[in-house]
Amino acid sequence: MKEKELNDFQQDDEEQIRQTTRREFLKKSVKIGAAAGVAASLFPIISSCKKKPEEKPAAAPAEEKEVSKLPSGLTEDEAAILSMLPDQQIGVDYPQGEEINVGFLGALSGPSAGWGLPGLTGINIWIDAVNKTGGLLVGGKRYPLRLHTFDDEGIASKALQGARQLVLERNVKFINAIGGDPANATAPFLTEHKVIYASLVPTDMHPNRPYVVAGGDITPQCNMFNALIAKMVLPSEKEIGRPLRYALTTQEDIMSHQVAAWEIGAAVATGFEIVYEKFFAVETTDFAPIVSAMIATKPDVISLCEAWPEYQTLLWEQLYLQGYEGVVVQNYADWETNLTKIPAEYAASVKGIDSFPLMDDPWWGSPSWQASFTRLWNKRYGPGAPEDVHRKMTGIDWDHVIWLIPWCIGAQLAGKENPGKWPSNDEILEALRAQPSFPTILGPGHMSGEEMFGIKNMIEQPVPMNMFSLDAKDKRIIAHLNFEPWFQAIKHVVIKEVEKRGQMYYQRK
Amino acid sequence: MDKQLLIQTIANSIAISGIYALIAIGLTLAFGVMQMANLAHGHFVMAGAYAVYALYSLSGWSFWIAVVAAVVVGTILGIGVERTIFKPLRGDVVGGFIATAGLMFIFEVLVGEFWGWGLSRPVPSPYKYAVKFFGAAVSFQRILAIPFTVVCIAGLGFFMRYFRLGRALRAVSQDPEAAALQGINLDRMTMLAMAIAGGLAGVAGGLVSVIYAITPSLGHRIILPALIVTVVGGMGSIAGVTIAAFIFGFIITFVTTLIDGVAAQMVSVTIMAIVLAIRPRGIMGHEVG
Repeated sequence: MKEKELNDFQQDDEEQIRQTTRREFLKKSVKIGAAAGVAASLFPIISSCKKKPEEKPAAAPAEEKEVSKLPSGLTEDEAAILSMLPDQQIGVDYPQGEEINVGFLGALSGPSAGWGLPGLTGINIWIDAVNKTGGLLVGGKRYPLRLHTFDDEGIASKALQGARQLVLERNVKFINAIGGDPANATAPFLTEHKVIYASLVPTDMHPNRPYVVAGGDITPQCNMFNALIAKMVLPSEKEIGRPLRYALTTQEDIMSHQVAAWEIGAAVATGFEIVYEKFFAVETTDFAPIVSAMIATKPDVISLCEAWPEYQTLLWEQLYLQGYEGVVVQNYADWETNLTKIPAEYAASVKGIDSFPLMDDPWWGSPSWQASFTRLWNKRYGPGAPEDVHRKMTGIDWDHVIWLIPWCIGAQLAGKENPGKWPSNDEILEALRAQPSFPTILGPGHMSGEEMFGIKNMIEQPVPMNMFSLDAKDKRIIAHLNFEPWFQAIKHVVIKEVEKRGQMYYQRK
Repeated sequence: MDKQLLIQTIANSIAISGIYALIAIGLTLAFGVMQMANLAHGHFVMAGAYAVYALYSLSGWSFWIAVVAAVVVGTILGIGVERTIFKPLRGDVVGGFIATAGLMFIFEVLVGEFWGWGLSRPVPSPYKYAVKFFGAAVSFQRILAIPFTVVCIAGLGFFMRYFRLGRALRAVSQDPEAAALQGINLDRMTMLAMAIAGGLAGVAGGLVSVIYAITPSLGHRIILPALIVTVVGGMGSIAGVTIAAFIFGFIITFVTTLIDGVAAQMVSVTIMAIVLAIRPRGIMGHEVG
């Protein structure tokens, strides 16, 4: 990464962006990231020190019982990942509640399966850990969790069929999903049945969809940060004597249009000139002409945006073969597959900026929640493991459990208000919204989203950004960024661009 | 469009045209002899791709030996389909169409259940470099499709002109009744045609295994352009299919470059519809060879 100085951030006047020196910015980011990590690990400790509410009767905790051993079968790593829960009281007996059904409704096959299928591993690890303690402790009862899956192949009509099956036959209360077209198809039905649909994409959120939640996936925030990080690694406009150029392509689908609008907005706000912004058909098999057309616009940055995992590999191959030499950014890079087509040296030369970090990234340190998750994952799904998935752990393996955990936290918090029964999803969401902060996999989070998406159903949390590392031959975190202050500085420019593309929530039906 | 982009687009067009031709010649050969379209041809290509994935990517065999194995797989599939579907349904065009449509889904489910539905199968490129000429860069892997297409077409033409079996195949495609009266065994000829078509699909599958994403639905993605090229070129005409492959390769590539991929899909299907309306037999009719 080139060393250069940036000016201090100034208040946005629709034309200017607050800037700081690179060193100060990275220092702030390191501090934020470190604070996030410390806060995430301290939160459960602090919570457990809080006094229990006295006015509502609750099953008296067995304070006299000594918790000297973990429950049978529960490992230390599983206990560590459960530390995010404010009130799990591992080892303490409570009455058993009914089984709580959780759904997964997303692509388990097809070109977008790379965003769905790996996510089951993280969900399974979490649910099994919870169940080994007897179940999720809510309002004085332990409720075992059970996962039900449905492969919608990313097709809206199948998603609706799956939603009906999961809700009417399996009585699921919470659905992990990918989103996009399927979110649109299932929203009315799930709203009617008050079932939470945790999309990967906040752009699915809308005021008339009170049970669509998102943000765990940090999309589109990470897409927006791509422009900022790219600008930091490129020569300045002053040095090269012209505006920096940004090209973007992704497949033609609802999710991509929404996310691309936010990313382009951030690119414009960051000072880029947009030279290419086109969507390719989902049936595309030949990406050579697409890449040729992009390269012809001489971009300094090429964004693959939300390109499905299958497509992003083929796009990377063409970028390499056609000799692109700028910076490549995207939402999610699958390096294990990409490196079967391109040399690692090329990936490093074009930076390979994305998000969705790996849980075994040294950034997180050890001991940490991430280190425990990594050990659990390798033990169960790694090479030679009982459920070996024949691949390395990816940034998607944790991508779906990231909202399931806050839902569990919300259930525990809401359960304290009304002990003895499982709280409604309205109560769970209200409990989360009332918290100034709660732990997430990526750091302390809070509920947000009114300004961008019209409803406070999004988890706002630190956004880790990666760059390809030649030493590791994989992605590595380079910064852990705080989205809200930056967004406040640039939002007037960004929202204008999103409106131009008809993608603000009040423009979408 | 500047000069550099024009050269690159021409290079991209030539490369993809070779791939379309390689995929489509087997389809048109089978139709020419059996007078039935094999909708599962794309899945024969998929089977060839999975053969290379299994042998080269997973088992460490040489890429080229894996491609030979893909040819064998395709040939066996072709013979099997001819014996079980086309032979019993000979003369029943609609029945053959429906049967091969069903076969598409059977193949897809079998492959999905065996190899898994989820993520695409990565096949490492044995040649991770591009051929550069006049400033354009094209993957060497794609360039390979052109000599293979030339060799396959030339070989097929040579076989059909100078070998007894080849001449018999031509006779069946021109007039099956007359050929039968001459003592030519129609069963053996249709089996031979499907064996060759399957083998050609295997070659195509082997070569595209490192170009396309390998999933059970690969066949669906391949069959549409193959059908378009075959229909426009003329069912049964290898020369026509080759010309059509290049026409469509150029149209799709140029439209994608100048407008976008969605428009390219629309244009290609529209042209097919127009050709069907004006000249239903296609550019060069349905004679084989």
